[in-house]
Amino acid sequence: MKKIDPQVEEAVETLSLNGLARRRLLSGAGMLSASAAAAALLSACSADNKSDSNKSGNGVGDFPETPKWKFVFVNHVTTNPFFTPTQYGAADACALLAASYQWTGSKDSSVPEMVSAMSSAVSAKADGIAIAVVDKNAFTSPVDKALNAGIPTISYNADGAKGDPGTSRLCYVGQDLYQSGVELGRRIASLMPSGGDAVGFIATPGALNIQPRIDGATDAIKASGKSINFKSVASGAELPQELSTIDAYVSGHKDLKGLFAVDAGSTESVGKVVKKYGLKKKGVVAGGFDLNPNTLTAIKAGDLDFTIDQQPYLQGFLSVLYLWLYKLSGGLVIPSVTDTGLLFVTKDNVDPYLQTKTRFEGSSTKQQLVKRSGPIAHA
Amino acid sequence: MSERAVQDAIDGKTTTAGTPPVRRHGPLRLAFEAFVVRREATIFIVAVALLLYFWSNNSDFLARNNLVNLSQQTAPYAIIAAGMVLLLVSGEIDLSVGAVFALSPFLMHYMIDYYGTYPIVAIIGSILAGAVIGLVNGFVVVVLKVPSFVATLGMLFLILGIMLTTSHAYPAQIPEAAHGVRGWFGQSDWSELIWCLIIVAYFHVVLTRSRWGLYTIATGGNPLGASEAGIRTGRIKFGNFMVTSALGAFAGILEAFRVDSIDPTSAGADGASPMFTAVSAAVIGGTALAGGSGTVVGALLGALVLAELRNGFNLIGINANPFNIILGAAIILSMVLNVYLTRLRRAGRR
Repeated sequence: MKKIDPQVEEAVETLSLNGLARRRLLSGAGMLSASAAAAALLSACSADNKSDSNKSGNGVGDFPETPKWKFVFVNHVTTNPFFTPTQYGAADACALLAASYQWTGSKDSSVPEMVSAMSSAVSAKADGIAIAVVDKNAFTSPVDKALNAGIPTISYNADGAKGDPGTSRLCYVGQDLYQSGVELGRRIASLMPSGGDAVGFIATPGALNIQPRIDGATDAIKASGKSINFKSVASGAELPQELSTIDAYVSGHKDLKGLFAVDAGSTESVGKVVKKYGLKKKGVVAGGFDLNPNTLTAIKAGDLDFTIDQQPYLQGFLSVLYLWLYKLSGGLVIPSVTDTGLLFVTKDNVDPYLQTKTRFEGSSTKQQLVKRSGPIAHA
Repeated sequence: MSERAVQDAIDGKTTTAGTPPVRRHGPLRLAFEAFVVRREATIFIVAVALLLYFWSNNSDFLARNNLVNLSQQTAPYAIIAAGMVLLLVSGEIDLSVGAVFALSPFLMHYMIDYYGTYPIVAIIGSILAGAVIGLVNGFVVVVLKVPSFVATLGMLFLILGIMLTTSHAYPAQIPEAAHGVRGWFGQSDWSELIWCLIIVAYFHVVLTRSRWGLYTIATGGNPLGASEAGIRTGRIKFGNFMVTSALGAFAGILEAFRVDSIDPTSAGADGASPMFTAVSAAVIGGTALAGGSGTVVGALLGALVLAELRNGFNLIGINANPFNIILGAAIILSMVLNVYLTRLRRAGRR
C-alpha cells in the first residue's frame, strides 16, 4: 500500500465509507472518490479556519451569538396566581438572554400529567428543563431520561422530601421548604407564649411543595417545649373550598389560640376568617405564607401577624439564568442549589409591597423602575 | 354489518344473467366504501389529520420517544372509556371511576406492604375491589333507583375520601416486591398500549358480537321494550358498572407503575379528570351520551385525538394559559369536522 498523508487519512475518515470504498479511495482508484476526498479535505480545512475566528460580542451583552434556546418549566399548578411572578421572572430572564420558555405541566397537581409534560419536553429536545418536584418517586426516571438526552435539568419551588430530593437534578432554586416550616414553628412558639390550641391549614397534604413546611413547623413547635397543641388540617386545592373549610373549622373550634397556613390560598383565607369573626380582639395569632394581594391587605389591617415571602420571581429568573449559563459554558458553569429566601413580612415592612404594583409580586404586568430610599432594614 | 349484507345482496342481484351490465367497483373502491360505512371512519380521519398536522409542524412528533408518550397519554383513558362506552350505551354514567383510578394503586400497596400478598394477587385483588365498587354503584342505581349521575357523584367523594384518609394524602412508593412485575403493568414503554389494545378489542367484540352487547344496546336504546322482551336490564347495568370500575382500577394501577409512584393526586385534586377524559373520548368517538349506541374502537380513537391535541400543542411549545384556548378551539374544530364528515358519510351511503 502506498504511503498516505495523515491529513488525507483523517479527511477520508470523515466520509464514513465502507471498507472497500475506503481502500479504493486511498489507492486512488476512480475520479469520483478522488474528488470526494478533495471535498472532505477542503471542508476539514475550512472548519479549522472557522473555529479560529470565534469572536465575542455577537450575542446579548458581550456574549457570543447563541441559538434561541428554549427552556421548559414543568409546573404542578400551572394556572395558580402564586406562579405569576415566577413566569414574569422567566420571561424577563429570557428577554435579557434572547431565549424563550414554555410554561406547562398540570393544572391540578396531577403527577401523571406532569410526567407526560416532562416526557414531551424531552421529545421536543428542549434546551433545558426546570421541574417542580412535588413527588419524590415519580420524577426520578423522567429527570434521568432528560439528563441522558443531554438536557440540563434543575428543580424549582419544590425539591422532593426532606433529605431526599428524589431526582438527580443539577440544582434546586427555591425556598428550603422544611427550614421555612421550622421558622414558622419558631414564630408560632414565640407568638403563643402561654400555649393552647393551634391549627395549621395545608391545601393538599402530601404535596411536596408544602408538606415539608407543616412537618418543619410541627417539629419546631415540639422542640420549643411549649404546651401548644398543633394540629394540621387539609383545606383543599381551590380558594373557595379553602375559605369554607377554614371558616367551618373556626366555627367549630371556639378555643383556638392560633391559626396558621402553609400555602398561599389557605393563608389568604385565614386572614378573611380572622376578620369575619373579629378573632384579633380575642387575642388569636395568625400567619402563613406568600404574598397574595388579600394576604398583604390582611397584614396591613392587622388580621394576620405575618406572612413569609419566598421570592417566586427569582425562582423563574434564576432558573432561566442557570440553564442558559450551563448551555453557554458547555456545562462548565454548573448551577448551585439556591435558597430563594425566607423573609417575614409583618405590619412594619408590608407597606412597600402594598404601595407598588410590580412584576416581582405578580400584581402588575408593567416593566418599571421601583425607587427606594432610606436605610435598609437589618438585624 | 346488516347494511353491508343488504348491499352485497343487491350487488349479487344486479349481476345475475339477463340484467344489463353495471360498472363493477374496483377492490379499492369497495374497501373505501366498507371503511366509510363504519361509524369510526370520521374520527379516524380526524386522528390522522391531526397526526399529519403535528408531524408537519414538528418532526419529533412521530419520533419513537414521543410515540411512547402518545401511547401512554392515550392508553389509560381508552381503557376506562372501553367500560364507559358499555355503561353509556346501557343508559348510565359513572362519575366515580376517577376516584377508583386513584384508590386502586393504594389498595395494591396496602395488600403487598401490609399483608404480604403476592403482587399479582394484589393487582387482581385491587381490580376486584374496583368491581365491588361498581357493584355498589349498580345496587344504588338499579335497586334503590337513584339516578346514576347523583349516585356515582356521591361515590366519587366517598372513594376519594377513603383514599385520602387511608393514605394520609401522602404519596407512597411502588412496593419493592412488585418491581418484578412492573414491566408488565405499565413501566415498560409499550405495555400500557398493549393492554389497551387487548381490552379495546375484547370489549369491541363484546359490544358488537355478543349477546351481552346486544342486550346492552337494547337496554339503553329502549329500556321498556328491552325489559318487556325479557332482557333483565338491571343485571346488564350491574355488569356494566362493574366492568367500568374494574377497568378504572386497572388503568390506575398501570399509571402508578408508569410514573413509579402511588400518588393521592394522580386523578387530579378532585378525582374527576380521568373520568372526564374517558367520557370525552367516548363521546368524541361517537357514543351517544343518552345511551343506545356507541363504539369502543371509536372511544380509543377519541382518546387518541385528545392525546394528540395535548401532546402536540405541548410539543409545539404552547404555554399553559393560552393552551386551554387552543385546546378548546381545536376540540370544537375537530368535532365540527367530525360531524361534517359524518353527514358526508351518510349522504354518500346508498
